[in-house]
Amino acid sequence: MAFAGSLAEMAPAQGFQPTRPIEVVVHTGPGGGSDLLARAVALMVEREKLLPVRMQVANKTGGGGAVAAAYLAEKRGDQNTIGFFTGVWLTSPLTSKEATISLRDLTPIARLVLEPAVIAVKADAPYKTLADFVAAAKQNPAQLKQSGGSITSRDNVVRQLLQKHTGARWAFISFPGGGERMAALLGGHVNMMVIEPAEAGEHIRAGNIRVLAQVSDRRLPGFPEVPTLKEAGFNLPAVPQVRGVVAPPGIPKENVAYWEDVFLKLTRSASWRKFLDDNQFEDGYQNAAELAKFYDAFTARMRDILEDAGIKTVR
Amino acid sequence: MQGFAVALQPANLLWCLVGVVLGTVVGILPGLGPPATIAMLLPLTFLMNPAGAMIMLAGIYYGAKYGGSTTSILLNVPGESASVVTCLDGYPMALQGRAGAALGIAAIASFIAGTVGVLGLMLVAPPLAKIALSFSSPEYFALMALGLAMVVLLAGRSMMKALLAMLVGLWIAGIGTDPFSTTSRFTFGRMELLSGVDFVVVAIGVFAIGEVLANMEAREETQLLPVPKGLRNLLPTVQDLKDCRFAFANGSVVGFLIGVLPGAGSTIASFISYGLEKAVSRRRDRFGTGVVEGVAAPEGANNSETGGALVPLLTLGIPGSGTTAVLLAALVLWGFKPGPLFIPENPALFWGLVASMYIGNVMLLVLNLPLVPVFAQVLRAPVFVLYPVIFGISIVGVYSTSGSLFDVALLAAFGLLGYVMRKLDYPAAPLILGLVLGAAMERALRQSLMMSEGSLSILVARPISAVMLSLALLILLIPFFTKVNAWRLRALGS
Repeated sequence: MAFAGSLAEMAPAQGFQPTRPIEVVVHTGPGGGSDLLARAVALMVEREKLLPVRMQVANKTGGGGAVAAAYLAEKRGDQNTIGFFTGVWLTSPLTSKEATISLRDLTPIARLVLEPAVIAVKADAPYKTLADFVAAAKQNPAQLKQSGGSITSRDNVVRQLLQKHTGARWAFISFPGGGERMAALLGGHVNMMVIEPAEAGEHIRAGNIRVLAQVSDRRLPGFPEVPTLKEAGFNLPAVPQVRGVVAPPGIPKENVAYWEDVFLKLTRSASWRKFLDDNQFEDGYQNAAELAKFYDAFTARMRDILEDAGIKTVR
Repeated sequence: MQGFAVALQPANLLWCLVGVVLGTVVGILPGLGPPATIAMLLPLTFLMNPAGAMIMLAGIYYGAKYGGSTTSILLNVPGESASVVTCLDGYPMALQGRAGAALGIAAIASFIAGTVGVLGLMLVAPPLAKIALSFSSPEYFALMALGLAMVVLLAGRSMMKALLAMLVGLWIAGIGTDPFSTTSRFTFGRMELLSGVDFVVVAIGVFAIGEVLANMEAREETQLLPVPKGLRNLLPTVQDLKDCRFAFANGSVVGFLIGVLPGAGSTIASFISYGLEKAVSRRRDRFGTGVVEGVAAPEGANNSETGGALVPLLTLGIPGSGTTAVLLAALVLWGFKPGPLFIPENPALFWGLVASMYIGNVMLLVLNLPLVPVFAQVLRAPVFVLYPVIFGISIVGVYSTSGSLFDVALLAAFGLLGYVMRKLDYPAAPLILGLVLGAAMERALRQSLMMSEGSLSILVARPISAVMLSLALLILLIPFFTKVNAWRLRALGS
């Protein structure tokens, strides 16, 4: 047995080869974050010749990832299906009774990306630093507004952490579409938003918005002048958006090893490096075992944050 | 001119043609929509130059709007959400043997409004995008309220029945996941309902399946629909074109302006333009029985909406709909940085796209008009052939959107609902209206209340919102005025 184990370690790709096109399940519609990542990965995998077959994206939208997770769970044992998850696949089961499938019920493969964020205000706003914004929020309790995604999204988590840390209060206006969030900021209907660096970059170049701080442990290459939360004097964890790969439950160990190997090779490729740089993502690679541990830490932290925010958790 | 230099390159002309043909096909087939098609084609576009790729993908986008009317008119099966309104007068026209005229008018209205939409994109894009930013949740709520007020224009004989149908539509829109707290509503513990009820399922069920079920008991199975012989009788008459003068302008302007707003969409544009057309029409009472303006206005609106929707996308990098989100994704994957500097930094691409859209609209007109007599022949099939075909197209359409058998079961349920509504004389359009507007309206209202800390005054304190809400109120009073007028006339007569 020991011998067989070491053989499998030496050549993990020997045991399993996909035979038909791989179905890649994502929880956003075409054009959404996960959909984009999956399509970009499919292209890179093709370019780097990492798979003998093609990858096809399947959009299973709804329920904050619950529909996609359930779809994967139904495909128990299916060797030609994988899914791209984000943090909401872990948080939705906390708030929705129907979202019965958590990432824990699926087979972990790898974590791929950590997406940092920046805190931005409109260019003509009076706030020059995050401290200015917080001070203004304290002076006018619940008058300032932030636009963002759903209540379980990273945007709101950052807000909750900042509010708890500083005692300031401001409103969170939830916009399901990313475009509407930005439109609300540019139109002056809200005062602040937490935004992906690549999207912010163009509006900064055009002089439409200003970045006050970055939600990241290190300064991003695109924003060498902007302090991180810690540097700005807010000793808070930098909550990243996390993205990675899972497979249906009940697939053989050798398949997990095969997929781990594919994604390890992908994340070491030049195309991946360029992709990360273009989008200002951080490499967040973790293998299956590390990813399983990450679930628990992430879920526990999110539960605390949601309960602090007064959001009812159901499990 | 620089744009035409790009668009007239043989390769780009070819991509434009490929795009509009694909778009027409996608539009005709219910189910598979432009966002999914464009997403599927993305990997191929990496083999092309970005200008050609963008021209092709945009061609799919506006081409689908041309095709969408075909099944609405012929079979009462909306090809996509924006062509639901086209069923209201388009299908009755087909039943009267005027399918050709309806299809022809749809193509002509699409061409005129599509071209106006491109003109708008070319001339006023940057300033208009700035104005559109002054719209936020309260204004969107008011716009949706204006749309909902159209119910009084979609009602049949009984206002009460229309309102009830609308409320059912609003309720269906509430099924699924709460957009803010992500808790579930009316899902009865079903995972499949978490993402809500797909609009296409309800529209096809209530319109197409309901119609077929109701007709099956009424008609002889060998009866044929009247389809006139001769090419001339299959095209719109000069009188039709005259009747549509205002509808062409209305569809063009309403569609473009609503398209520019990132939070509205082409379905709403088509409803509002239909409502406006009916509100100002002298033969208001005949809408819904097959008047040609009732086809021209919404078909125009959903075409000029594409030009409008490209405004926030290209000037600000802000997508307003599924299709523009995929186009944005495509631009990013090709290595562009969509945003406020996109047009100044990529003038050749932008002007090439604009020029190609003029060319593409001409191609679509040339392509679609000759197809009209061909498609009209579909109705020559006896109903025992036609009805199973409608069932087949409906089921395939629904299944191809979601790949879920649960949705096919829902389709059957909504088909039965459509049948019962027809039997009891409940109009279907208000239900669809409530469903289309419900989710967006709820979101806008709750966002407004979050902004104002729960005070409703935000809806009337902002000028644009106040004006639109007053207009909505005015529309709601139309039936009242009509009654008073009728009573006055009776009094005069006696």
